Formats: sequence, structure tokens, C-alpha cells
Amino acid sequence: MQAKAVFSWLDAALARCFGPQLNPMNYLGAMTIFFFWIVLVSGIWLFIFFHTSVQGAYESVEYLTHQQWYIGGVMRSLHRYASDAAVVTVLLHIVREWSLGHHRGKRWFSWITGTPVLWIVIPLGITGYWLVWDKLALYVAITSSELIDWLPIFTGSMARNFLTAAELSDRFFTLMAFLHLIGLPLVLVFAIWLHVFRISRPRINPPRAVMAGTLIAMLALSLIRPALSQGQADPATVPQELGLDWYYLLFYPLVQAWGPAGVWALLIGLSLLLFLAPWLPPKSARKKVDRPVVVVDLDNCNGCQRCAEDCPYSAVMMQPRTDGSRYEQEAIVDADLCVSCGICVGSCPTATPFRQASALVPGIDLPDLSALMLREQIEQQSARLQASPQGSQRVIVFGCDGSAELKQLDDPQTAVIGLRCMAHLPPSFIDFIISRNHADGIFLAGCSNGGCEYRLGTDWTSQRVARERDPRLRERTDRAKLAMGWEQPWSSHTSPARGLAAFRQQLIISSPVSVRTEALQKKFWLQRLPLRAIAYGLFMVVAALFSAWPAFSLLEPEQAMVSLSISHTGQRIEECRKFTQEELNELPPNMRRPSDCPREKQPIRVELSANGEVLYAQTIQPAGIWSDGSATIYARFQLPAGEQNLTIGMNDSGGGADSAGDFDYYSEQRVQLQPEQHLVISFDAASSAFTFN
Amino acid sequence: MNLVQWKSSFSLGIPSVDLEHREMIGLIKEAYQRLEGREEPAAIEAMLGEIHAGIAAHFALEERLMRESGYGEYSAHKDDHERLLDQIMGLMDDYANDPQAGREQLQLGLSDWFSVHFASFDARLHGVLIHPAATAD
Repeated sequence: MQAKAVFSWLDAALARCFGPQLNPMNYLGAMTIFFFWIVLVSGIWLFIFFHTSVQGAYESVEYLTHQQWYIGGVMRSLHRYASDAAVVTVLLHIVREWSLGHHRGKRWFSWITGTPVLWIVIPLGITGYWLVWDKLALYVAITSSELIDWLPIFTGSMARNFLTAAELSDRFFTLMAFLHLIGLPLVLVFAIWLHVFRISRPRINPPRAVMAGTLIAMLALSLIRPALSQGQADPATVPQELGLDWYYLLFYPLVQAWGPAGVWALLIGLSLLLFLAPWLPPKSARKKVDRPVVVVDLDNCNGCQRCAEDCPYSAVMMQPRTDGSRYEQEAIVDADLCVSCGICVGSCPTATPFRQASALVPGIDLPDLSALMLREQIEQQSARLQASPQGSQRVIVFGCDGSAELKQLDDPQTAVIGLRCMAHLPPSFIDFIISRNHADGIFLAGCSNGGCEYRLGTDWTSQRVARERDPRLRERTDRAKLAMGWEQPWSSHTSPARGLAAFRQQLIISSPVSVRTEALQKKFWLQRLPLRAIAYGLFMVVAALFSAWPAFSLLEPEQAMVSLSISHTGQRIEECRKFTQEELNELPPNMRRPSDCPREKQPIRVELSANGEVLYAQTIQPAGIWSDGSATIYARFQLPAGEQNLTIGMNDSGGGADSAGDFDYYSEQRVQLQPEQHLVISFDAASSAFTFN
Repeated sequence: MNLVQWKSSFSLGIPSVDLEHREMIGLIKEAYQRLEGREEPAAIEAMLGEIHAGIAAHFALEERLMRESGYGEYSAHKDDHERLLDQIMGLMDDYANDPQAGREQLQLGLSDWFSVHFASFDARLHGVLIHPAATAD
């Protein structure tokens, strides 16, 4: 409920700025795709100059940012800010659809296929930050590896690769570049296709004015506050503070605080919640989406296909005739896709209220709000309105079925009739009301703030009235007697009551609606221009602000980091033993070998202390199903800068370690740790000695 | 009287369209006869409503077939459909407003209303659908 209230407020505020037709809240999905286009174009430019190597990566990005600031730098900033903006619009899109209940019922598929886009976009951003190979990239590399290492996929530790410069290879950059440039983008394109393929006419592009406004704001931001690197990656240091892009790296600080298991639990829990959202309580929310679907009446269907063309959810299809009539095709409804919006009824040529000799049964109709019921309601309300005071302007308001706000408009000169969607009303009904004098004016309220509950309802209605789409409203019908809430600036930013009052005023003046609307829209456009500029600016500020702020503290002040990184194979549990001749004779000829060497290795035990305080003391089992692999240790500790007496011991022969003398390998090192220093302790098997780098 | 009569040569070879053409001609004829028989205005209005619904559905189907076959004169044909739909609505309005004065006007209007379209636009469509090669260019 809270989310809904916040969104209604935001929606109304933006509708006030942009007018109902350009309200960006109605184009969040399309805006996300627009940002992906910006990311793609800027990404191609960056790739041309990018070197996929440890040395070259950072330098090439620096070259782009500083030497080529006027294009490369701008492209880099656009790449970053458009990526951030895409996360903002994806999140807004998810919360908005959820708050409007669009994730439930027949629309579950779009939800289930839409929310995972977030889980593809985030790794895309993470791999992007990785490629820059600055200090943030190193942090991202190590933390991502820690997360991945926790999964029981790989043995060993990926994080160990990023602890010293010597470990890192250019191959790794090739892998990252593949993921960022080809692998993940392909998955993303597939996911977006999956998200929209079931609905008809998905809105892929936002209106041009919105694209232009966003792009200008983003360009301005790129010049004012260009995206920068945070110093070349240096495994020998750990920065005390880093600017994190919170849109992509929100969970990363938690890896340090909770450990990888906690973060995975959170991510999996969140994903499950999103995945199951369409079927979660409350029950009342489910009622609305369980309405009866439209039914086809073959006696009134000639297979003209208009219903199939207008259905926003591809729920109506055509198939060969099944009733033996001489028509070739008939409409058929997929009940799993039909959301009972009634838009198909509005498109059916037989849904005309002028039919009086035969029953008003259209080729396709809603069982619980049929065309006949609509005509009856109009006739009843018309009779009521006839009693309205002399000289008053009788108006029939068509609004959303069950809208309490619209019901309040009901008075002696106003009748409110509920529809599922504005496009549920066939244009011939408008003609019927005006030409048969059932009212002096018709007010099609539409959904609030220019949105359409059923995607295309307002578009189709506008086009039918403008005679650009079938069925067309009759040319002779006086458009001055008709108002469409989503097309009128005065009704978008005021309450329906004020919109209705303005319309009634217009009916009295009786000026051509198009002239008035055009003048109003021009005035509105100019008046709201500064507000729109502010809205675009604010959006970009929000997108950019959290791309590096607030800074995240990796280390307390005056602290250094010590990493323990060991991969070592323990000694054999049993020594090799030569087979006796008798034993050899018993073995099948193909399995005869000189000696029997059991593969199992001893676990290794490592203890690390600093100034006598134990930091780490654990026994690690060898990897592999035969327990014959290496045991891997990866751990990090923060230590105060200054002198530290580090002692480390390791046992790989299965023995205990009650004192220093019991270790198979032992080392003591007095080190002078500098603030932000990163010291890596490893074990070199060739020299059987610990190294402190 | 200029009421159009069904002839087998009108057939477009598409059973559904032929069926509807035949029905339309039948409906118009019936309406005309009812007007001559001076039936109740309400019954005439109801009859006109049926013609309107029937013709609207028929045009919708014919338009679909024209689009599917890539008919070159679709746009002009479609415009004429819209004109006819508006025209019958006008006839219906006039009759509803004043059945006495509207009766003769309606009789006159109905006789020309569909027949002219049928003889010109539908005949051309017929030519294309029956002999596509002959009118390909």
C-alpha cells in the first residue's frame, strides 16, 4: 500500500510535468531499452580503444578519459550513467508493476521473465567495472571471487588469483571481456525478447521527446561530472576508502560483513520472493485478476480479425472455422492469456448499439459486462439525466470499472458508467449517445496520469476517434462533445472532477475541441519546459549520485590487510608399497604395476598469529573425491599498521601441532606494516618455505 | 427503383464474402419492402441497425481479405467503405429524427447506397480476385 501511494504521488508529479502522453512513468521498460542502446553505442567506442591486458586495460581507459575527453571521456561517462539509469528504470518498472498488481493473474509470465533481467544487468555492470582495472576493479575482482568461491562449483580459490601482481594473467581479461561484451549481452537480449514476445506491439522506444530530454541531461552530466577511474589497481595495497557504484555493488560490502553465505542467502531469498510474488497473498488482490474471459459467438463472428489485431496480450487468435459455416476463419480466445480488458469487444464491428431487431450479441463479448449491459446502462442513465435541470449539460463519464473517485462524480447531470478499459467501448456507442441525444457530452476518463491499465487501450481509443484505426468513430460525430482524459492537459494534472468541470465549460462555449486542445497543449508544453528540464536533471543526478557516493570504507584508518593464501598438497596417508610376485600374479594382466600407491593425502593444518594473538587456526581437507588434491586456504585479516610479529606454521603430515616445534613448516617474521599495505602470506612448495610479500 | 439484384457473376469466389454480399442485398431489399409497406418506424429503425451492423462486419472482413491479398486499390476501396458506413448512419439519423419526412429520403438513399459501391468497387475487386493475372499491372 505504501509503495502504491509513493508511486501514485510520483506518477502524478511526473504527469504534471510532462503531461499524460509523455509521462516517463508509462515508458519505464522502453526507457530501459533506450539506455541499453546508449550503453551499446558508447561501449563500441570504448572497445575500439580498450586493451585487454593487465597493463593495457587501465592505461587505455585513462587515455580515453583524459586525452580523448571530448569523445572517449564522454562515451565512458555515457556508458556508466546510462548503465546506472537502466538499473533505476528497471527497479522503478518492477516496483511500479508490482504496486499496480500487474504481476498477478494472466500477466505472471511478463513478471517472471522480466525480473531476472535485473540479475543479468547487475553482473554485466560488475564485469564492466572489473575491466577498468583500477582500485575499484581489484576490489570487485576479489569480492566477486570470494562470492563465487563459496559456491561448490570450483575447487581451490579464484580470489587467490588477484592477491599479487604475479598471479594475474592477460587471459583473465580476455575472459572478462568475453563475458561483458558478448556472453552477458546475448543473454540480456534473449531475456528482453522473452519478456515481451508474448504481448502484442511491445513498446520498445519511449517517445522521441523523452529520449531527447534524457540524452541531453546525460550528455550534460557527462561533461560536468565525467566518470573517472580510482587509481591503478595495485595488489600491494588496499585502499582505505572506495567510491562504490551502489546500483551494481550494493551487496558487496555485505560480503565483508556477513560472509559470502549470508549474501547468497539474501540474494536467493530475494529472487525467490520476486519469483513467487504473483502467487503470494493477499487473496483479495487475486480476485480482480480472476474475472471471466471474453467469449466468441460464432453466429456473430465472420472472422474479420479485428479483435485479434487489437488484443494487447495476443490472447485472441484466428483459426479455421469449426461450425461448418461458409466463413473461412473464426476467433478463438486463449483463456490463459486473456485479461478480460474488453478491448476486443470495442473492436468488433457487430458490437453496435443500433442493433435492435436481433439481440445485441457481438462476435466477441465479456460475459460479466456485455455490450448489451452497456447499452442498457446508457439507456437507464439517459432516462435519469433527462430529469436534470433545464440548460444543464448532461455528461456521461466512462471510467474505470469500480473506481471510487469517478463514482463521486455522479450527480443529477452526470452519469458514471464503468468500463474495463476505454477501448472496451465500441466507437458506435459514442455515436449512439450523441446522435440519439442520450447526453450532451461524453467524458472518457481513462486511467490516471496517462497510463493504461491494459497497455494499448488509450492508444486504440484515440486512434479510433481520430479515424486512424478500425472501427472508426463516424466522421459526423461532433468531437467537441467528446473529451479523452489522457489527451487533455487540463484533466491530466487535475482531479477528474476538475477535468469534468473544464469539459462542461467547453460544452457550453462549444468551441471545436481540437483547436482548444492544441492551444492548451502548446501553452502547457511551454509552461512545463523548465519543470521537465529539472525532472530530467534530477533523474540523472539520482542516477549519477549513487554511482560513486557514499564512499565505502574497506579498512579502518591506520590499518593494513594481511591475506593468507595457501594451496598445498599434504603428504600421502599411506606410503607406496611394492607388490609381491604372488600379489602380481593375482592381478589381471592389464592391472599389473610395480607398486600400490594409495592416493589419499593428509589434511593440512595452518596457524597464523600476530603478536602472539591467533588470527587463524584451521585444518583443511584435501580437495577431490579421492581426497588426493590440494588443500586451499584463503583468508583476510585487518591488522593495525606498525610493527607486527607474524608467525605461521603448517602441518601436512597428519601430526598434531601443540607447539611451534610440531609444525612441519614454520616461519616467524617481524614486519613493519604501513597503513593500506596489503601483505600476502603464501607457501612456496619448491623451497618448502613461507613467503611474505 | 435501382435496387441491386444478386447475379452469379457477382461471385468473388470467396464463399464468405459472396455469402455476405447476398445477405446484404437481401437485407436492403427487405428494408425497402418494409418501407413500402409502411411498417412502424421502430421496426424500420431496428432493421436499419441490423443493416449497419451487418455491413460493418462485412466491410471488416472484406478489408482483411484485401489486405491479405495485397490489393492495390485497398485505400480507395476502404475509404468508400467508411463513406458508406457514415452515409447509412446519416440515413438512420434522419429517419430517427423525422420518420415521416425521412421515409422517402431513406427509400431513395437505400436504393443507391450499396448498389453503386457494389457495381464499381466490388466489381473491380472481383476482377482482381477472379483474374489476378489480367489486372496485375
